[in-house]
Amino acid sequence: MIDIVLQDIWSPIIFILVGILVSLIAYMFYLMGNPDYKRTKYKGDPFISGNRPPTDLKELHVGGDNVYWGFTRALRKYLDPLVEGHTGIVNDYVYWFVVTLAVVLVFLYIM
Amino acid sequence: MNWFTLFPLIMVVTLIIMGLYVVLFKKNLIKIIMGIALMQNGANLFLVSLAYREGYVAPIWTSAPSADMVLPTPHALTLTSIVIGVATTALMLSFVMMIKKHYGTINSDEVRRCRE
Amino acid sequence: MNVDLLTQSPVFVLAIPLLFAFLTPLANKVSKELRNAVFLIGLLLTTLFVSLMAYEVYTMGSWIYVFGAEQPTTGLTTQSFFRITFLADGFSVLAALTIIITALGAGIYSFGHMKESNGLGKFYTLFLLTLAGVNGMVLTSDLFNLFVWFEVTSIASCGLIAYHNDRGESVEAALKYMIISVIAGLLLLFSIGFFYGEYGVLNYFLIRDSMTGSLIDILAIGMVMVILAMKASSVPMHMWAPDAYSEAPEPITPFIAITSLGSLFVLFRLLFFVFRGAVETSAIGSILIILGVLSMFIGVSMALKQSDLKRLIAYLSVSQIGYMMMAVGVGLATLGTGDYGIFGARAMEGGLFHMINDGVYKALLFLSAGGIVYVADTRDLNKLGGLAHHMPYTTFFFIIGGLSIAGIPPLSGFSSKLLIYKSVYLYNPVLAIIALVVSIVTLALIGKIFFNAFLGPDQGVGKKIPRSMILAMSILTIVVVLFSLFPNYVVAEIVVPAIEGLGVGA
Repeated sequence: MIDIVLQDIWSPIIFILVGILVSLIAYMFYLMGNPDYKRTKYKGDPFISGNRPPTDLKELHVGGDNVYWGFTRALRKYLDPLVEGHTGIVNDYVYWFVVTLAVVLVFLYIM
Repeated sequence: MNWFTLFPLIMVVTLIIMGLYVVLFKKNLIKIIMGIALMQNGANLFLVSLAYREGYVAPIWTSAPSADMVLPTPHALTLTSIVIGVATTALMLSFVMMIKKHYGTINSDEVRRCRE
Repeated sequence: MNVDLLTQSPVFVLAIPLLFAFLTPLANKVSKELRNAVFLIGLLLTTLFVSLMAYEVYTMGSWIYVFGAEQPTTGLTTQSFFRITFLADGFSVLAALTIIITALGAGIYSFGHMKESNGLGKFYTLFLLTLAGVNGMVLTSDLFNLFVWFEVTSIASCGLIAYHNDRGESVEAALKYMIISVIAGLLLLFSIGFFYGEYGVLNYFLIRDSMTGSLIDILAIGMVMVILAMKASSVPMHMWAPDAYSEAPEPITPFIAITSLGSLFVLFRLLFFVFRGAVETSAIGSILIILGVLSMFIGVSMALKQSDLKRLIAYLSVSQIGYMMMAVGVGLATLGTGDYGIFGARAMEGGLFHMINDGVYKALLFLSAGGIVYVADTRDLNKLGGLAHHMPYTTFFFIIGGLSIAGIPPLSGFSSKLLIYKSVYLYNPVLAIIALVVSIVTLALIGKIFFNAFLGPDQGVGKKIPRSMILAMSILTIVVVLFSLFPNYVVAEIVVPAIEGLGVGA
């Protein structure tokens, strides 16, 4: 018999305490780092195929539809029909409601 | 169940089917609201016809010749639902007025800026 | 006259918003400050009475509130079977608490957000009417009364959605929601007619006792189920939800979400409390599971393609509805079998705990999105950016809400989702895997919003966020953090009584 009781499997207080402990250890590792490190002109800048990074910061921001572009592009055969299915015509909204009602009633009748 | 009690129910089904047909297949928003009003009337008729008992009298206790009265509750329900129906129809019609002002059309195929 | 406020509290939960709804336009004639004060007093009094009801239920047990009875605790007698009754038990309290916390947040938030709009007297009237409508829906135990509150909620919330009627989109969204919810309301009236015609009663208890499971019963039960699932924005009847959520004024959006949750509460109440004996619970449970899985998966898929901030969160909220339907569906499907004791009851706990969690963190998320809209004056994710420079508090609130909706430990969304995963896995592993995948995609989408809106170079904004909006969001954040830190306490003290209120063992 498997019994799932929330207090047996999950305690946020312990989770937070362990989290604090782990971040303390990480901070100790951080302190062990090389203190001579100095940030020079190009160190830490984004690498764009050897090109100089753009000076205008606004060009650096990837926003809106460009985030996860590859992911949505790869799934376009699944996503595009879904998006087109949401036509915005009020008759279709009612149509889906009536169809679901019919399907549920038939299902309940058969069972 | 004789013809006299069956007739209102046939009318109810007819009204509902007519209303549903209009809502599903007509593109004019005013007509859609008219279809909803048809369905509302169907629902009200259904409630009233539920209350009817053949040969019974109106449910007014003080002057009733016998205790055989039609059911009073559905009449109260129908009154409430008529009031609610008027409110919803008026609100929807005022929305359509504003849509005409903003979109210049009341064809539901063109009133679809909210989509995707 | 000795009025016992504790046992009279259910009626005040309704009467106070109704009274203050019509006091606010009067106060508006005097001054703006008085109107805001009256509105706030109304909200706080409602909160007080919800707390009194909760206190009474948790200390003294549940009771049936009969309108017009000499004593509210006498219960249903043969003389009073036609009277309207309210049911004050753990489940009503869970629903009322979810509603009132969100309403408090949204109400305080609207002081700052809406202060440049005109006609605010009517705005607050509609707000309180919606609150009364949803409270009535979840408290009532009379089918026709349910229909009345259903329509009150529909009318008032559609008025609120179309509040910015200078924009065509708002009116369009309101009209669509109105048309579909009026049709749903009519079908609800029809199914009520079926019940009345068959049994001659409208009270939940009497219908439950006289139900036979005839063909008409099954027809009516199916209709009620689909209607309330539509109102809860379950796929494939979700299409009104993104429109309405994105076009409503920002303080109202969480409130529309709460009407959805309220209908879900009513659905569960009816299925467990009234219809359970008359139908095959496994069939009903499978329908709920199928609708839930569809909602989760399609909701989150549609969210992937959105570039409108509020529309994206609206689709996430549709997918969250799916979790609750699935979890409670598993509870319903296993009801009466040995599996219920092993994982069915735990799935119920997870589902109902997720409902109160979801109500609160979704409100927080919508309100912080409203803060973005207020400051940047656009909802388009392509144009937003760099807002963390200007609104550190809102950024923090968004992180709390976003991580909670994605189910990241140690936030409250995680504890309820953990219960759902664990118990649903025992029912069918595929469901748990789908739920996990949906949760991961949700996290990715929260990351997308965070990256787009808050990170990036400073683009400069004109407005500062008002203090009342910060206050409202902090209230909700405190509730989310409390739920996160003490999930075991919440489950034991609030969720388990709710399951007992449904008439099934916890």
